Amino acid sequence: MPLFRKVLIANRGEIAVRVARTCRVMGIPTVAVFSEADRDAVHTRVCDEATPIGPAEAAASYLNVDALVEAARRTGAEAVHPGYGFLSQSGDFADAVAAAGLAFIGPPGGVHRRMGDKKAARRLMAAAGVPVVPGYDGDEQGDETLLAVAHRIGWPVMLKPSRGGGGKGKRVVRAESDFTTALAACRREARSAFGDDVMVVERFLARPRHVEVQVLADGHGQVLHLGERECSIQRRHQKVVEETPSVALTEERRTALLLAGVAAANAAGYVNAGTVEFLLDESGAFYFLEMNTRLQVEHAVTECVIGLDLVRLQLEVAAGRPLAWAQEEVRPRGHALECRLYAEDPDRDDLPSPGRILAWSMPEGPGVRVDSGVAVGSEVPVHYDPLLAKIVTWGGDRAECVERMADALAHTVALGVTTNLGRLRAVIAHPAFRAGALHTGFVDQHLGAPLGAAPPPIEALAAVAAVLHARKTNPTGAGRRPAADPWGRLGSWRLGAGTGGV
Amino acid sequence: MRLVWGEDRHDVSVHGPEGETVVAIDGRRLELRLEGSPAGPFRLRMGTRQVSFHCVRDGEEVHLWWEGVAYRLRLEREGTRPAHRATSGSLEAPMPGKVIAIKVAPGDAVRKGDELLVVEAMKMENALRAPRDGVVKAFRARVGDMVNPGAVLVELE
Repeated sequence: MPLFRKVLIANRGEIAVRVARTCRVMGIPTVAVFSEADRDAVHTRVCDEATPIGPAEAAASYLNVDALVEAARRTGAEAVHPGYGFLSQSGDFADAVAAAGLAFIGPPGGVHRRMGDKKAARRLMAAAGVPVVPGYDGDEQGDETLLAVAHRIGWPVMLKPSRGGGGKGKRVVRAESDFTTALAACRREARSAFGDDVMVVERFLARPRHVEVQVLADGHGQVLHLGERECSIQRRHQKVVEETPSVALTEERRTALLLAGVAAANAAGYVNAGTVEFLLDESGAFYFLEMNTRLQVEHAVTECVIGLDLVRLQLEVAAGRPLAWAQEEVRPRGHALECRLYAEDPDRDDLPSPGRILAWSMPEGPGVRVDSGVAVGSEVPVHYDPLLAKIVTWGGDRAECVERMADALAHTVALGVTTNLGRLRAVIAHPAFRAGALHTGFVDQHLGAPLGAAPPPIEALAAVAAVLHARKTNPTGAGRRPAADPWGRLGSWRLGAGTGGV
Repeated sequence: MRLVWGEDRHDVSVHGPEGETVVAIDGRRLELRLEGSPAGPFRLRMGTRQVSFHCVRDGEEVHLWWEGVAYRLRLEREGTRPAHRATSGSLEAPMPGKVIAIKVAPGDAVRKGDELLVVEAMKMENALRAPRDGVVKAFRARVGDMVNPGAVLVELE
């Protein structure tokens, strides 16, 4: 008997493909959902069923609670996996799924709400003995009060909205003279983005590292940690390269961090897989940042070193099973690294680059894993996150893992859209990265200037000329093996006919 | 024909049957053999040296992956003129998206790099900046408009 009769995957792209893969292994049929922009998307093809949920705009489809619950009802799904992003941290969605009599593969609505309010989460963590960044999370929100708090904490300070995320309404204030203006701007942004302008004031940490603890809790009182990840390589406050273990932790600090993660999960009343994020300062002190009440993008690096499938564990917990593993049985081995391949242009402020994938070939070999949601012919729509693939390598130690990543990236082919591949290669090749000298400003510090790509070598131009010439003189592929000449097929999908089989 | 990469233009001619090809790039001759297909990698052989690469043509644009690097080249044929760009004094949409904010007004003097408007695409807000110093002549997009790549958004003078 499979754990569930059927699982609806309320997401798209690589995470929908990844969740479907585990369900398939476990003998659980899956339902894909798709917006009008995703009719032919890869994730719709890897599931047993696919059902439409609305127009291209995410607000009307992947963020549409009613449409998703209705899709689950219609297809007879017994459980819903939210993936990450979209509604994965929505208490209302979790509640609506439960109210429809279905299992939500994640924590219940109350936990999402508790951890979604930053101010309340901060207080909860401080009360549970989890270190928080020195600062203020009080209800008195007058300008004078907040200014007095900033004085007490010491400049510079960080202003951030109690609700929200993604860097909106967040500012570093370096001096008293800037405080009032910055506070007004933060409140304005927070009001328009989150409908709430309550602010938290915290000490600004210079050159922090981002470290996080993967936790897993069953509904039977057991809370495990599955090690830490370091995600200091970011752009626009979003992660691009992640690894485990973190090179910044001594064994003693690691133990303290992991226990703090478990304490945070306990304080939150957590159930299912979640991540407790911390900032680690240059002295080695760490502070609670926030809790992500869902599976993370970067969960694959954890899977590589502990050898467990996190989606399987999520499904087991959601089915009400107690965890089959004890803490001492979770033994990380070696080192794992993830690079996120995005359709964006690092030389132009990371502008997204939607379009059609014209060539696609992902690396393989010992210790290489790729999770992706696109193929040749895929449209990368403008409406959603531009993540194309996660390239993950494992090695016996960090050096081997990094070498494998460098080689994997050198054999990553994605044409048709502009990607951040060049930046990823530059990060992995950088001496500071090799030395493990990471902090959240790494990209700006070391790779802020445009990469200034070198021109194509003359052999490459000759190769292009030969390809164009071959196409002209031999357009039908006569005299070649049929499989060796897909120009005809290429023509057909370029005209928008079949996008599938190429 | 001519291959264009950024500002670099290369005159290219190809002779000989497929398989035994002589390519001249800006007068320099290379002898090579081409095998394979755009679905898998092509293989270029030059003597004993060989390189696997990917190359896909899309209209006048050629996408090339060569030794780990992606290039976009433009193809110019004899007798064709490069696309006329009359709007060099304007800001064009670099990607499809929705205009969510306009930061300056017609008549405003702007410096190169100043934020002119914000376009939302792929769930990110992207600031579009002035390509040069100038004065804003007109906006051709309004807040809420969906715009396509190449659409002129702001005219500068």
